[in-house]
Amino acid sequence: MILSYPRRILLTAIVMSLALLLIVAALWLPPVPRDVKIMDSIFVLDITDSMNVEDAELDGETMRRLAWAKEFTRQTLLEMPCGSHAGLAVFSEARSLILINPIEICKNYNDLIKMLDQIDPTMAWARSSEVSKATYTAIRQADDIDPKPSIVFLTDGHESPPIHESLFPKFQGTPGDVKGVIVGIGGKDLLPIPKTNEQGEIEGFWEVNEVMHVDVYASTRGDMAERNAQKPRTEHLSSQKKSHLETLANRVGFDFVSSPKDPKKLINRIRDASDTREVTIDYDLYAWFSGLALLLVLLVFLPYRWIGLGDDN
Amino acid sequence: MSALSWTAPSFFYLLPLALLPWLIHNQSKTIVWSKLLPVDPLSYWINLLLKSLASLIIISLLLALAGPYIPEQTVERYGEGAEFVVLLDRSRSMDEIFARPPLNTLRTERQRFKSKRVVSTDYLLEFVEGRPDDRFGYVYFSTQSVEILPLTYNKDAILATIRAGGLGKGISKTDIVEALQLAAKMYEKEAYRGSRNVLLISDGGQILSDTEKRRLKKMYEQMNLNLYWIYLRSVRGMTLDETAEDSVLWEDLPERKLHAFFKTLDVPYQAYEAGSLEEYAAAIADIDQQQYQPLLVAERVPKQSKTDVFLWAALAGLLVWAASFWLSYVGVWQAYRKTT
Repeated sequence: MILSYPRRILLTAIVMSLALLLIVAALWLPPVPRDVKIMDSIFVLDITDSMNVEDAELDGETMRRLAWAKEFTRQTLLEMPCGSHAGLAVFSEARSLILINPIEICKNYNDLIKMLDQIDPTMAWARSSEVSKATYTAIRQADDIDPKPSIVFLTDGHESPPIHESLFPKFQGTPGDVKGVIVGIGGKDLLPIPKTNEQGEIEGFWEVNEVMHVDVYASTRGDMAERNAQKPRTEHLSSQKKSHLETLANRVGFDFVSSPKDPKKLINRIRDASDTREVTIDYDLYAWFSGLALLLVLLVFLPYRWIGLGDDN
Repeated sequence: MSALSWTAPSFFYLLPLALLPWLIHNQSKTIVWSKLLPVDPLSYWINLLLKSLASLIIISLLLALAGPYIPEQTVERYGEGAEFVVLLDRSRSMDEIFARPPLNTLRTERQRFKSKRVVSTDYLLEFVEGRPDDRFGYVYFSTQSVEILPLTYNKDAILATIRAGGLGKGISKTDIVEALQLAAKMYEKEAYRGSRNVLLISDGGQILSDTEKRRLKKMYEQMNLNLYWIYLRSVRGMTLDETAEDSVLWEDLPERKLHAFFKTLDVPYQAYEAGSLEEYAAAIADIDQQQYQPLLVAERVPKQSKTDVFLWAALAGLLVWAASFWLSYVGVWQAYRKTT
């Protein structure tokens, strides 16, 4: 298609005027309201000894499980839509301790991150690690918060002392009443667990004779002594206990994700698992208008001649 | 004034597009021999101007799309208030009912009991909410102390942290000395802004070793921190100060020892003994009244978008461009009509 000179001038004038109108629209059209789905969640970080094992992978780097949990929580907070609320909690012994109730993440990002940085094994107030009970307490406390947040429980699933497969700690609540996701951390191989002292400082590793290898109930039963003796003595080593976490997740009606790679995917799982709230935000269309205007302006200057469209008279 | 930041700096890669108007001549007319044209300095300058304008339009639109903004900044001003580090005891004993009437009293009405934790949380929230300019920090303490909320002006954060402190059950062991030390350290790394306070809320004391005493004394006196202790009484009738009707049992109570030590400090110290809700509320109100001194307050100015500036530039450029092309179209059209 070859355009004559006056036509080209006319077309340029028209296109430029359209671009002009688009910019006027970009400047003066009011923002349109748009509904965004947001969620309230509490991130519970396991700070027990087994979390010091270095076998969590993030972007090709192997790091301590707790470092992974902190970094992944930070990235997840960063990716969540503004308006979402997040709180932080730690788990040690047999309970979760909420440090901060959910607050809006974009406005309070700085304070949340500062607090996240402070989370450390030294905060642990005891040296046991009862994951199931801690999950239950997290659920109980979440139930007291309004609006009810979902729980994102980051743990390797290592129970110490171990629990009997048929004597799982009883969950008193209704499964699914408080929603949540359990995020499994750690690798497949059994690795020695760094041992912390009363002050939370690492001093060597847990030895095979320093931990319980059978649960409290079975160990008191004389008639089970033979069976107990046959059990592998590996409780001083730790790996990600996927099947245990999955059982636990089923019990309380949570979703289970093992070592997620992408915070965005985790957010989707959290969103699917939680009761989302809709919040209306003002959405400015300026980018669309000015982008279109730019395209129009560029249209005028594209090298038509080189592709055989232009002409020359 | 801080520098401009960009939400989508990848648009910068498209900036070379601004050269297009200088390379492409879609709007020029090809003629047989350019020497035939009379030399016209005016149209030369107009041509140059139009090309620059075209580049300007493209650049401005690209920059507008890159989302320019001035990041959130803090502006300092003088206000009235104080700085507080809150040390809220999370020990097990705080789960007990606050101000329980003695068992031998007749219940005249049905009472709803609240734990010491819930009561102290509620009043603390009210206290914080009532002090718009203050800066608060929060220390979590069990056997170890952690400064979970470094001093901040952010009210949402401190309120949410205090609320969290009211949830669930307490933890077995707490170390007040550690927490008091950490509170002083939190101030140490900050610039002086105004009255500095440490607010300890607990229902028990602790027996301090001599080294601990010396260290605390040095820290608090050097930094001149105000110390407030709201003591939630667990033994009925017991006071922190010795009285004539003292029971022998009370003499060695850790809370008394702690109180005696606090009194030896050469810093403003005040203890409030709360045995009832009214007393507790009064203590909080009293602190509230005392602490209105000049304080350097940092206020946040939210992030400001600067897109409009670039859109205006593009708009101005486009106005001239569109106008000049309409004008030349009219001219060309007239010329064509004459020739054909």
